[in-house]
Amino acid sequence: MPAIITVENLRKEFRYVRRRPGFAAGLTGLFARDIQTIAAVDDISFEIAARERVAIIGPNGAGKSTTLKMLSGILEPTSGAARVLDFVPWKQRRQLAYRIGVVFGQRSQLWAELPARDSFRLLRRIYDVEAKTFEVRLAQLVERFGLGSLLEQPAQRLSLGQRMRCEIVASLLHGPALLFLDEPTIGLDITAKGAIRDFIREHAGKEGQTVVLTSHDTRDIELVCDRVIVINAGRIVVDQPTDQLRRQFLGHRLVTLRSTAPKIEISLPGVVRRVSEPHISIFEVDTRTTRVDAVLEAALALGGIEDITIEDPPMEEVVREIYAAATR
Amino acid sequence: MRSTPRPHAELTATLAAALSALGLGVRRNLANWPILMGRALFYLVIMAVLSALWDKVAGQNLPGTLANVLPPGGLTLYVGATEWIMLSIAAIHLRLEDDIRFGHLEPQLLRPKPYLLQRIAEAMGDTLARLLGIAVAALVALALSGRSAPPAIAFAYVAVLGVFGGAVGVLLYTLVGLSAFWVRRVLPPYLIMQKSMFILGGLFAPISLYPDWLYQAARLTPFAANTFIAGNQMIAPSAAGFVAGLASQLVWIGIIAILIALVWRAAIAKILREGA
Repeated sequence: MPAIITVENLRKEFRYVRRRPGFAAGLTGLFARDIQTIAAVDDISFEIAARERVAIIGPNGAGKSTTLKMLSGILEPTSGAARVLDFVPWKQRRQLAYRIGVVFGQRSQLWAELPARDSFRLLRRIYDVEAKTFEVRLAQLVERFGLGSLLEQPAQRLSLGQRMRCEIVASLLHGPALLFLDEPTIGLDITAKGAIRDFIREHAGKEGQTVVLTSHDTRDIELVCDRVIVINAGRIVVDQPTDQLRRQFLGHRLVTLRSTAPKIEISLPGVVRRVSEPHISIFEVDTRTTRVDAVLEAALALGGIEDITIEDPPMEEVVREIYAAATR
Repeated sequence: MRSTPRPHAELTATLAAALSALGLGVRRNLANWPILMGRALFYLVIMAVLSALWDKVAGQNLPGTLANVLPPGGLTLYVGATEWIMLSIAAIHLRLEDDIRFGHLEPQLLRPKPYLLQRIAEAMGDTLARLLGIAVAALVALALSGRSAPPAIAFAYVAVLGVFGGAVGVLLYTLVGLSAFWVRRVLPPYLIMQKSMFILGGLFAPISLYPDWLYQAARLTPFAANTFIAGNQMIAPSAAGFVAGLASQLVWIGIIAILIALVWRAAIAKILREGA
């Protein structure tokens, strides 16, 4: 697949005036300003191919939103280059806008006092979508997302989950090739999150859309994206497929054994028993010390094993470990 | 997938989107009709107070006042027109402040049509709906009051000049709203602008009653184009005054629009450099 996003040595510095406490220092500051420079994004490079679903994650202030803003064209880098769908985003923002859809989880693009349908109609004008194409697309999205009667309610009366579904529909009405999703599930309950994730995955897959997502919720990354870019202090610390990241970064796996005996013990180096229920034993296996098959062999030798499950550790642990490693 | 429109079609598409935003502003006000009715009621209360005041001033024929140089009830009719415009102008400055201060600007900037034009068109839609709603209340109140009314042509002049006066007001408030990029809170510049509109625009009394030097200075400001030009047609209707007033309003709309474009360009450069 050809790359539709190319980023080369992108850097963004912000300058701010440091204010010193005290009246005298404040007065001096009027004449001699103490200007500080911080690099929010520090020399990052990557490519994203068409149809990829990529998560950009990192702790607060890591530079992920700054990256997303530069890629969408509302922030100009201090140095470096980027091309998105063959446009230089910050120079060709309006041309690029026809080809991208953007959802900011904490910012609405709907008109609060009006029914969502009115917002959608105005968006049709804004994106110059043919009336027929618009009606067909809207009908499909409304059906898929179960919006139905919600279309006639003012956006300000919708629940957060209902509003977010409308926001995503609003971002898809012009048929974008690329979706930027900034915290699309923030503040939603589990059911609403699930619906949004399912929709993004299915819709992007069906329409061949590329998705770039930022989130603090590791389930968003796990269930929607097939590649993760981890940014810390403005730099890329990890860029790997989601599965590979989980397996490679954390050198351990979870083995769950259901047994006839209330509790089983396995004494092997690098194998630690986690808090478990009666008849269910969970072992954390350090695969750098002991292989999983050795653990299984030892368990089967004990007898009375009814079921075995081998899992990767939850994504949240992986991310926590990556952040910890990046700050070490 | 939609491609970028060809240059010759872009202007038409931009205007169509702006017209759609204007319609949205009108619909929003009609949907919130209780608020529109409340605004009309407030207008009637203000007019009851001001007409009582100006009728007393004119009735007593006080030496030193200029009220008696106007036709009977003229000041009430004048203020009826200026208040009609002033109460109809949409608070676009608050909308812009909200977008700028709370980060709502970013998703708007990622659209292919100019954000500010869309917002101004929406505000103009709000203003038109309010002008219509308050005009109905004003005309009914005038008919019920039994006051002598100016000739019908004066109402036609005022209707047109009122719409363009409202447009001048919307653009002045847009400038106030854009100040949020630098001052964050628009209340201080708004108060300066509003008081200037009241005094130099002749909200409560025609600026033609001011000392000549002050009148000459005030009529050269955009504030006179906002309210005085329309209000003056209620007391001195004339085709020549209408044409000259409309020309003045159009010139001010052009000048303020250029100012807005320059300020917006500086604001966009700031956003691209520092973030929204």
